[in-house]
Amino acid sequence: MADLVTFTIDGRQVQAAPRTLLITAAKQAGIEIPAFCYYDGFSLQAACRMCLVEIEKTPKLQVACTTPVTEGMVVRTDSPQVAAARKGMLELLLTNHPLDCPVCDKGGECELQDMVFRYGAGESRFVETKQHVDERQWSPVVFYDKPRCILCYRCVRVCDEGLGVGALGVGDRGSASEIIPNRGDHLECDECGACIDICPVGALTSGTYRYQTRPWEMDHVGTICTFCSNGCKTTLGVRNGEITRANNRDKSGVNGEFLCVKGRYGFDFNHHPERLTAPLVRVNGKLAPASWAQALATVGKKFAEVKQRGGKFGVIGSNHTTNEENYYLQNFARQALGTSNIDHRRTGDVATLIDALHGHAGALATTADLYTTPAALIIGSDLSQQHPFLAWQLRANFRHHQAKVFAITSGPIREDRYAAKTMRAAEGEELTAVESFREHLAQQKSLVILFGDSIKGDAVRKLVAFGDSLGIPVSYVPLVDYSNSRGASDMGVLPDLLPGYHGVREAGLEPGLAYDAILSATDLDALYVVQENPFAKTPLASTGAFVVVQDLFLTETAERADVVLPAASAYEKAGTVTNVCGEVQKLKAGAKTMGAKTDLEIMGLISKEMGVSIGIWKHDTVFAEVRKSVPGYNVALPVVETGGAAPTFPVNGRVPLEDRPDLISSDRNTLFLSGTLGRYSKMLTSVLEYPGKLYGQPVETELEMKEAQNT
Amino acid sequence: MLYNEPSPLEVKVVTRRFGKPDSEKIDTYLADEGYEAFKKTLTLTPEAIIDELKASSLRGRGGAGFPTGLKWSFVPRNTGKPAYIICNSDESEPGTCKDRLLMENDPHQLIEGMLIAGWTVRSPAGYIFIRGEYRYLIDIVDRAVAEAYERGFLGKNILGSGWDHDIYTHTGAGAYECGEESALLESLEGKRGIPRLKPPFPAVVGAFQCPTILNNCETFSAIPAIFRQGAEWFASLGPPKNGGTRMMCVSGHVNKPGVYELPLGFPLMRLINEVCGGMRNGKKLKAVIPGGSSSPCLRAEECDIGLDFDSIAKAKSMAGSGGIVVLDEDTDIVGLALRTIKFYQHESCGWCIPCREGTTWLKKILERYHGGGGREKDIDLIHEIAKGMFGRTFCALGDAAAMPTYTFIEKFRDEFEAYLQKSRPKQIPELALL
Amino acid sequence: MPPARSHGRFPGFVTLLRYTGRMAKLGEVLDSAVAIARGMTVTFKEMLNPPITEEYPDAPPIFEERFRGAHVLERDENGLEKCVACFLCAAACPVQCIYIEAAENTDQVRISGGERYAQVYNIDYNRCIFCGYCVEACPTDAITHGHGFELASADTSALVMRKEDMLRPLGAA
Repeated sequence: MADLVTFTIDGRQVQAAPRTLLITAAKQAGIEIPAFCYYDGFSLQAACRMCLVEIEKTPKLQVACTTPVTEGMVVRTDSPQVAAARKGMLELLLTNHPLDCPVCDKGGECELQDMVFRYGAGESRFVETKQHVDERQWSPVVFYDKPRCILCYRCVRVCDEGLGVGALGVGDRGSASEIIPNRGDHLECDECGACIDICPVGALTSGTYRYQTRPWEMDHVGTICTFCSNGCKTTLGVRNGEITRANNRDKSGVNGEFLCVKGRYGFDFNHHPERLTAPLVRVNGKLAPASWAQALATVGKKFAEVKQRGGKFGVIGSNHTTNEENYYLQNFARQALGTSNIDHRRTGDVATLIDALHGHAGALATTADLYTTPAALIIGSDLSQQHPFLAWQLRANFRHHQAKVFAITSGPIREDRYAAKTMRAAEGEELTAVESFREHLAQQKSLVILFGDSIKGDAVRKLVAFGDSLGIPVSYVPLVDYSNSRGASDMGVLPDLLPGYHGVREAGLEPGLAYDAILSATDLDALYVVQENPFAKTPLASTGAFVVVQDLFLTETAERADVVLPAASAYEKAGTVTNVCGEVQKLKAGAKTMGAKTDLEIMGLISKEMGVSIGIWKHDTVFAEVRKSVPGYNVALPVVETGGAAPTFPVNGRVPLEDRPDLISSDRNTLFLSGTLGRYSKMLTSVLEYPGKLYGQPVETELEMKEAQNT
Repeated sequence: MLYNEPSPLEVKVVTRRFGKPDSEKIDTYLADEGYEAFKKTLTLTPEAIIDELKASSLRGRGGAGFPTGLKWSFVPRNTGKPAYIICNSDESEPGTCKDRLLMENDPHQLIEGMLIAGWTVRSPAGYIFIRGEYRYLIDIVDRAVAEAYERGFLGKNILGSGWDHDIYTHTGAGAYECGEESALLESLEGKRGIPRLKPPFPAVVGAFQCPTILNNCETFSAIPAIFRQGAEWFASLGPPKNGGTRMMCVSGHVNKPGVYELPLGFPLMRLINEVCGGMRNGKKLKAVIPGGSSSPCLRAEECDIGLDFDSIAKAKSMAGSGGIVVLDEDTDIVGLALRTIKFYQHESCGWCIPCREGTTWLKKILERYHGGGGREKDIDLIHEIAKGMFGRTFCALGDAAAMPTYTFIEKFRDEFEAYLQKSRPKQIPELALL
Repeated sequence: MPPARSHGRFPGFVTLLRYTGRMAKLGEVLDSAVAIARGMTVTFKEMLNPPITEEYPDAPPIFEERFRGAHVLERDENGLEKCVACFLCAAACPVQCIYIEAAENTDQVRISGGERYAQVYNIDYNRCIFCGYCVEACPTDAITHGHGFELASADTSALVMRKEDMLRPLGAA
């Protein structure tokens, strides 16, 4: 960046890095050059001709989106000629635009509206008839209205270049040109809806948001998606306490504007008609609605009684609840209930990696690192399906920086197409296969290794040893499944570890029962399950146990419970979550569901009923305690509070863990599956691709498997 | 097969073998010093070949008239990538019909021209991109290519030079836009026929992302003559910087329309009156479109010029692809403007806004105007829209549509106004249009 | 009414009577009668003219064409609702008294002419100030000010008007 280029724009001397495009350089100088087809990060089109500017010594107007700045260039963006060109271009665009702004979903946030308002003519001279083409539905989530389309080709590029799907193309020619889906009349794709968000006009509209409301009528709440572990920021459009849409047009958060189908459309589980809105208490063998006071009193009394007689508790935490709730839960279990029998569904071996990395500083990669790393190695994960945002980052990295991507998986994955080298290896045998990459990997400047659930226990240690032997800086991403899987591990929702990977023995406790042992124990007196559905796969062995379940829906586990407490979803509460790369981000409450309480409050109220004090159940108070007492979580508060992602630095020493690789398994979710929440999302289950494919193989849903077992 | 009687005033260079029996066969071609030029160039260095071409002042016959030698010199060598030779025979400009004759009557001349280009950049392959509607020509060219393979002019180790070269034919799918060089490349690569961003130009990054020599069919066909008879001879045929002869495709209201090969700089009026036998039915000349439908027309009083690139440019038109359309006094200029814009509206690829929407709007206005629903302000509106398109589109198709349209208005405004008077139906009130 | 000038018009006659002794009394009587008659001219004249006061509540009041009364939601020539739920009235409303919920028209159920219609359209007349901004903002001329004005209620919740309350009845153009 040493040699900046000096050029003149609108009479101002401005400097920019060489080869910067004029449109970007002008933006840096605070001068707006309007454009539709130019989109940062995607290929250049020069199709909309809105960015025409006057450059001295060139006879014609030039497009700013493809012209790099050169030394001594003299540019005018404010001349009458430029203004006339912009006005003319907009007039031409509007000749076939239906101007149905009052009903168009984009009205109020439409780039064409803004441009015409700023640069266009007040009246049109077009008096001929406009072409009309009926609106078409391409999938449950994507609708296309051809007359509104201005053919900027952003959708085509985001689908092809951004997602690597390439489901959209251009058909026909001339004024009949239109965007066409990959299956003729319908789409078969990731259904991520990126095309809809990136559309500057209302040509592509969203199945969930269509004709619901208008942008200025909603509250825009920036929070974190509650599905997978990638931790994408999503901005919920909330009206009357109900979520009407989710997108991230302001490009805030780690993911920029990326969201997958779950993030953009999966929110509808939140107001599913089957949401629990009142506590249920089992009376005469049947669950019946009860008041919160009754339900809490029942739970408090029973827990206090079991505790008093020294009975056996089991506590199962969640992959979806916040860090605060997880921290509070393990406190509740260890102090209020006095048990170490606490665990959660482990979907990746984070603890072993932290242990194996002792002495390695900064060996955990962040999501931003995936965009800048010169090389990455994917082991045992269909990244585009299971971790779509991480895949997006790697793809953008390849596109912009020609990153070398290596992959060892059990089947074909989307990354094969641009990867430098790929290899097929059965699950569990990846580490043998990786040796054949050694030569290539060692040539890279640095490397990020992303590994799935097949690398667990000893394999993690071997992988780290392999990484050390390459002689280059290597960082790791242990792939986990859900929005706060990583946080549950970090917060010590484990039988053998306290928050921050301290051994329980340090606190004078003995390790308790693990997940499988809790379920298979025959002598449990009480089981407390927070937003988890363990009985879907394994029934509880202790038939006489008193079961308390906090959840959004009446799941298989809740059906067996003695008391069911309606919990709030992640979109209804504040707090923090930690994503797959260990970055802490803040949740903001957007929606409301009558009758539901946050898990934090429920735990606080139960402890109050039991007459035990384990601290204030306010999320910021708990987070302050987390920052103080959990190693690595002393994150920069301003970053978190302003919606940023603060990387954590977990302990850099040995972790006194008990190796239990058998407990670690991913739920094998695809883009269209996400445990309980996904089942209750109508949009996710309605798309053609549901439940999707992993490694090119169709995936069975939990329900299908259950049905198959029953018949 | 020839479609018109040759004229004694013609200077036959590329058409020298037209009309001879079996002129498309290699035996007759070899008998007429065929492939001699190529053999000669095999002994020359690439620099010498390009210098010779520059000396001949041969200019591209496709439309833009870019000096061919200069174009070839832009092709980078030693990039490690192969260079490709592409012949643009996607002749679609209304008024132009010369490539079909060249391929029909003398395909070996074209192959020889391409071979010289191929040898210059040591290209492994060449493609002849033939307009889809010229289905019958593919068989002729394919036969000629097969003959060339048989005689060792194509294939491995050509004439013992150690150089390998293949030539393939490829058809377009009937899009005018694919005559634009970069859209042609996209089409050749199997993609949607839309133009590419320039720079980089095809000479540097062309077919399959490799350096490419892309010339018009007539340009390639003229090359053997240059090396056979010398660059100086070729240059001397036309005025300075406009070497050689050109196939003039004359259509319209003349007695003997047809394709005539004349030296560049040949006076336009002599072409009409002597070569083409004068105006049909003795009518008066109204205007001439000198270079295919996309070139601005010349009024009768402006027609006293020579037919070379520079003279026509001086008259604010362009030599284009050599499609000369002669219009007599009875021509309905509004109808002509409508017909022209209909063509461009139909052929606009839709990539950029001004061309896609501008041609459509112009067509709609002109249709209404022609149908009798014209308003006085439409004349200025048409002019303004066309001027607004000009120079602001992605490729030259927008310009090609805009130039004739606004020229018609500028040069024949009186006709547009008269049209308004005579055919305005009374029953269409102003309000119904708004 | 012009000021009374009792001696202005006939000074000779009245003065004559005044000087004729007994006749003076009669003159006074006549004087008064003239004054009364003159004073009542306007009254008598107006008695013959039609009344300009309105008989409300006995008879319906008459409004100026542009009177801004209770809103009316209009229908188009096909009887479909003109409102396409664009929310612009709600956006323009300075007191936030308009609440809309939109829904999509289907081929089976078509409520409005556009793709979308107002499933719920409430105006809270507790808050409405009859400024007319909503009418001005409406791109489809769906909301207009009618001449309804009897909105007073002892119960504020009765002042939230629903779409059904405001919609122009079918057939009444």
